[in-house]
Amino acid sequence: MAIFSKEEAKQIMEKALSFSSADSCEINMSGSESGNIRYARNTVSTAGHRSNQTLVVQASFGKKSGTATIDEFTDAALERVVKRAEELARLAPENPEFMGPLDPQQYDDSITFKQSTADITPEYRAEVARKSIEPAAKKDVTAAGFLNDSSSFNALLNNKGLFAYNQATGLDFTVTMRTNDGTGSGWVTRDFNDVNKFDAAEASQVAIDKAIMSQNAKAIEPGKYTVILEPAASVDLLQNMFYSLNARTADEGRSFMSKEGGGTKLGQQIVDERVNIYSDPLNPLVPGSTWTGDGLPRKKTKWIENGVAKNLAYDRYWAQQQGVEPVPFPSNAIMEGGSASLEDMIKDTKKGVLVTRLWYIRTVDPQTLLYTGLTRDGTFYIENGRIKHPVKNFRFNESPIIMLNNLETLGQQVRVDGNLIPYMKVRDFTFTSLSDAV
Amino acid sequence: MNDNNAFFFTRLQYESGDWDVDQRMPSNVMNSLVEYTTLKVDTRENIVPLASEEIFKCPFCYLSGHKLVQFTKEEKANFERYVKNGGFIFVDDCNHDIDGLFAKSFERQMADIFGDMALKKIPSNHAIYHSFFDFEDGPPTTSQELNGWGDDLVHDYLKAIEVNGRIGVLYSNKDYGCEWDYDFRNKRWYKIDNTRFSVNIVMYALTS
Repeated sequence: MAIFSKEEAKQIMEKALSFSSADSCEINMSGSESGNIRYARNTVSTAGHRSNQTLVVQASFGKKSGTATIDEFTDAALERVVKRAEELARLAPENPEFMGPLDPQQYDDSITFKQSTADITPEYRAEVARKSIEPAAKKDVTAAGFLNDSSSFNALLNNKGLFAYNQATGLDFTVTMRTNDGTGSGWVTRDFNDVNKFDAAEASQVAIDKAIMSQNAKAIEPGKYTVILEPAASVDLLQNMFYSLNARTADEGRSFMSKEGGGTKLGQQIVDERVNIYSDPLNPLVPGSTWTGDGLPRKKTKWIENGVAKNLAYDRYWAQQQGVEPVPFPSNAIMEGGSASLEDMIKDTKKGVLVTRLWYIRTVDPQTLLYTGLTRDGTFYIENGRIKHPVKNFRFNESPIIMLNNLETLGQQVRVDGNLIPYMKVRDFTFTSLSDAV
Repeated sequence: MNDNNAFFFTRLQYESGDWDVDQRMPSNVMNSLVEYTTLKVDTRENIVPLASEEIFKCPFCYLSGHKLVQFTKEEKANFERYVKNGGFIFVDDCNHDIDGLFAKSFERQMADIFGDMALKKIPSNHAIYHSFFDFEDGPPTTSQELNGWGDDLVHDYLKAIEVNGRIGVLYSNKDYGCEWDYDFRNKRWYKIDNTRFSVNIVMYALTS
């Protein structure tokens, strides 16, 4: 079992620390028990369980640091790993950006652990596969999916007495459904901390329906369209925008958040005023760890409020350079939505395109935040409030910033990749060419 | 013609294809003319049929589309007379596809009117690349070219038909129309204004 309780972890880490003679020493310990099942061609292909544990020692002399890792926790092994880190530290060049260990901090109690998820069995996973494969086979559809669940812990201890511990559970599920004539494809993704919120049959049905609906897609002219983006479609573009909310890259003139002639866009209206994005490790739908890897406490933080950039993330070094308090990088992004369901949004669309998913996203222009990628697994033409027919996939060129300036409607929020993202209707989404891929 | 001798942007209608593409492109072009130059600009887009006599009052015309270019007899006659009389037409292929229907059929039209060899690539140091902003590498690349469509196909040239050493028909496969077709309020998010080359095209047309 690679899960250590708070007391067990602390005992091992304190033991390791006792071997250290460095100026400063920081120890990270983590472990996870995870299980998975993979299926393709309507049959299970692999099922497995992984058990991993790691202890990482960072020892420093002045500004010279060395790191060593080990996965056995006997006294002799702990002594060995500490000594190895110290040897490496003596050999290392000075790091001008070295920040010493943090003093002890206060953390909120996290809500990332659910016993129900930790208790998942191989039988449960097999049942998920069955709930996906059987309805697919009945509809002349072929399923290929993957379920991975994990129970894990992370702990941090340093020579100043800072100690942090967190336990978490999570599961990730994706399935691609293909019609057996090869012309239709559907897909769905689900992720939760609590397995009780996951309904494999419902998720699989969404992907089956999309596959069947997307058979024999027709090509329509590329160009600018009003689109309804499902949360799984917009999340990657939005995440690329979140990464730009970084003080250092903005201050150094390297990011979208840099202002012409110096300074940053902090405090400026950058997107539609209906856009509100914050992070909160204690949100029950998308809980995250209440501390960062380097021991900073994570709190609810507003990033964009009424369209205005409110905060940029500062790591400890950059905060010190700028004379401000550090603002830790968030563990999730929560974008406020509206009350409209997907059905409502389709009903309200005169002419547009419904996008299930975007993939293969690459940067075109980092400073405009312009990205390109492709639609996939269910792209549909909407006319007069109804889905009219499936359309061939497109290549798109779009910037999340411009996208959020062309906002028409915000719909209900959905959890995707650990974030809460609303359905969105956006004007003038740029499709530049057609893709023959199904 | 307008009264106060201001520049005005004319879009040509033609009967065979879709002439009404990229509806916001002209306002972004005019926005740039106002922003960067001292030119007097009439900000209303002027739309005239290629077959009408109106075109002979328009010093700058734009023609675009995705589909077939098959001029009627009147359109063909007007196109030829307008260009040979010193007019300027900027033709932009909305398909941004080297073998697209617009490109093939438009090029055939030009060969019919002006001869097989009339439409030629212009060099990257042509005066049009220095008529206002300097574009050292020839025509600026569009975002859709940079995104990898057409196996990373970048048209690193424009073509033109020159009359007495001056461009009369400027022809692009780069789809500048789509590149410049967006809500003008979003221009501020571009690190480098992507419509700057349109200023060169207009300034060349008016001053060469």
